[in-house]
Amino acid sequence: MSAPVATEGLRRLEPVMSKKGWTAFGIVTLLTMGLVPLLNSLPAGSALQLPDYLVTLFGKFLCYATVAVAMDLLWGYAGILSLGHGVFFAIGGYAMGMTLMLAIGEAGVYRSKLPDFMVFLDWKELPWFWRPMDNFFVALCAALLVPGLLAYCFGFLAFRSRIRGVYFSIITQALTFALMLLFFRNETGLGGNNGLTDFKQIYGYSLHAQSTKHALFMLSAAGLMLSFLICRFVTTSKAGRVLRGVRDEESRVMFLGYDPTRFKLFVYTLSAVLCGFAGALYVPQVGIINPGELQPSNSIEMAIWVAVGGRGSLIGAPLGAFVVNGAKSWFTVALPNLWLYVLGALFVAVTLFFPRGLVGAFSGALERVRK
Amino acid sequence: MSEARVLTESENPIDESGKPPATSPATVPTSPATPRARRTSGISLMPRRRTVEKSRIDALTHGRKALLCVDNISVSFDGFKALNELTLVLDEGELRCIIGPNGAGKTTLQDVITGKTKPDQGSVFLVGDDTDLTHLSEHQIAQRGVCRKFQRPTVFQGHSVFENLELALPGTKGVFQSLFARLSSKQKEKIEKILETIGLTEYMSTRAGLLSHGQKQWLEIGMLLAQDPRVLLVDEPVAGMTHQESERTAELLNSLAGERTVVVVEHDMEFVRSIARTVTVLHEGSVLAEGSMDAVQNDPKVIEVYLGAS
Repeated sequence: MSAPVATEGLRRLEPVMSKKGWTAFGIVTLLTMGLVPLLNSLPAGSALQLPDYLVTLFGKFLCYATVAVAMDLLWGYAGILSLGHGVFFAIGGYAMGMTLMLAIGEAGVYRSKLPDFMVFLDWKELPWFWRPMDNFFVALCAALLVPGLLAYCFGFLAFRSRIRGVYFSIITQALTFALMLLFFRNETGLGGNNGLTDFKQIYGYSLHAQSTKHALFMLSAAGLMLSFLICRFVTTSKAGRVLRGVRDEESRVMFLGYDPTRFKLFVYTLSAVLCGFAGALYVPQVGIINPGELQPSNSIEMAIWVAVGGRGSLIGAPLGAFVVNGAKSWFTVALPNLWLYVLGALFVAVTLFFPRGLVGAFSGALERVRK
Repeated sequence: MSEARVLTESENPIDESGKPPATSPATVPTSPATPRARRTSGISLMPRRRTVEKSRIDALTHGRKALLCVDNISVSFDGFKALNELTLVLDEGELRCIIGPNGAGKTTLQDVITGKTKPDQGSVFLVGDDTDLTHLSEHQIAQRGVCRKFQRPTVFQGHSVFENLELALPGTKGVFQSLFARLSSKQKEKIEKILETIGLTEYMSTRAGLLSHGQKQWLEIGMLLAQDPRVLLVDEPVAGMTHQESERTAELLNSLAGERTVVVVEHDMEFVRSIARTVTVLHEGSVLAEGSMDAVQNDPKVIEVYLGAS
């Protein structure tokens, strides 16, 4: 990672990406955005035609991969293991879910302007926090800002009290559990147990139309690549080097005059915003958001994606998300009872044999071949 | 500075032994002890900046080119007094060695100066700035030019030698500044100069974790230099070094003093003798004696508590 040093004026010590890197980034972006919609558009019956359900599935994976990139920024670079990132993902999802609920209008089961669950609970009008969600862009902002704000406040209290390591992980688990209990309650006003579902349209476009599905897929792909770029920008900047310093030798960072709390808070908040963004794209594709997303196990699974893919590269994490979720999709259909064992075994095996994850194992093998 | 002075009259058993100190008596008045509670982590969004009274600064720094003053500091851990009304004045550009038996409070003193430990009473301040450093956090004190080298070399093992020095440069320390930070050719030249001083030019792209113990120690000293420190606190710089390496370190520290104030805490008496101009002996949390190496070595109190054993 050591940087080439130029002799002339001001310059960034480490470029965001090398020329080759930019080329590869462009190609990967085009492929992830274009390939799946293209294959899906092929005439039915052709050998390469991709069924519709796979578009949704892959779109979902892209959202998970975005979460994985955000996790990696936090865990791989700053050394902060959050086991509560499901919170930010779910809040982003709920914000989007709320605007989609309101977009149903009077097309719901009860033919009321209120969302169905409110009619069911015999509520007469929208609670205050639902009202601005009528506007799609307000909801989109909420999907980014509410997770960010929550992370900022939570992180401020935690980091300033110098809570680190496993203690921080445990507290974040508690956070997601507490929020799950809150969201389960009907009084919270977010659909309780059932959550928000039965969406019809997004920003005026039918959610059942193939074109909408393609657009959402491509947005998810673009979102993933953008998140990667943002994280890459952070990690190659001086702030990234400070963050790695915080991970490796926090006291030295402090005695060099940096405030580790601020750096941690920044990266935690950014990570949460990216998760909220992923959640907002996830919900219109899967068509439902409920408190199940806040289960502690979901957040732990996110950490497993990153561990399997490999920490500290930003490339391993999304790959890990694809591999683990791909395996999950296959196993839960083929051998549903075995999946949790497989997941556990995968985690143990990767930790034991590939501590640097799939990417680490791959690059290690590549080096051996070169020698 | 060859004249040794005793700064505090603590309840030291040796003080009552009847022997007058070999040097001139205390010249610094003890400030009224105003005990205050240790700062706990209550809800204070902005730690209040407290200042030191001007009269107090004048009393301590009168007639000398003082830079850092440690004024009447007491620290206790569960009733054990690690520092006991300790007062210490460091002059600009001097090289000061602090010695003392185990438990004398050497490490605690450094912890208080750098903000790691909050004292029960007393203040620390830099001359020319009346801010009480004991109310600031570690990074704020570091930004004011008080830098610390740990006993165990603490460098960023995963960063290259160059990156280690880059992070140490003064200036951009905020999050958003750091995101867009760029390295000027002037800064780069500075790093190159430091690399030369610490003899690591050919290793600048090497990961610091791969360096030898001695090289890491120098890298850390280099990082402190890059910070443009006003005060350098160095904790046992030659622990674990070969004889040759210690000699080079002695040279390095000697060359640093003059431009900046260097405080070396050391056990190795031979090393202290090779670099020291002024030595402060700590004992039970207070200053026992202060002066040139010879004066201190001949001080009967010192002989009794510390050097007498060897």
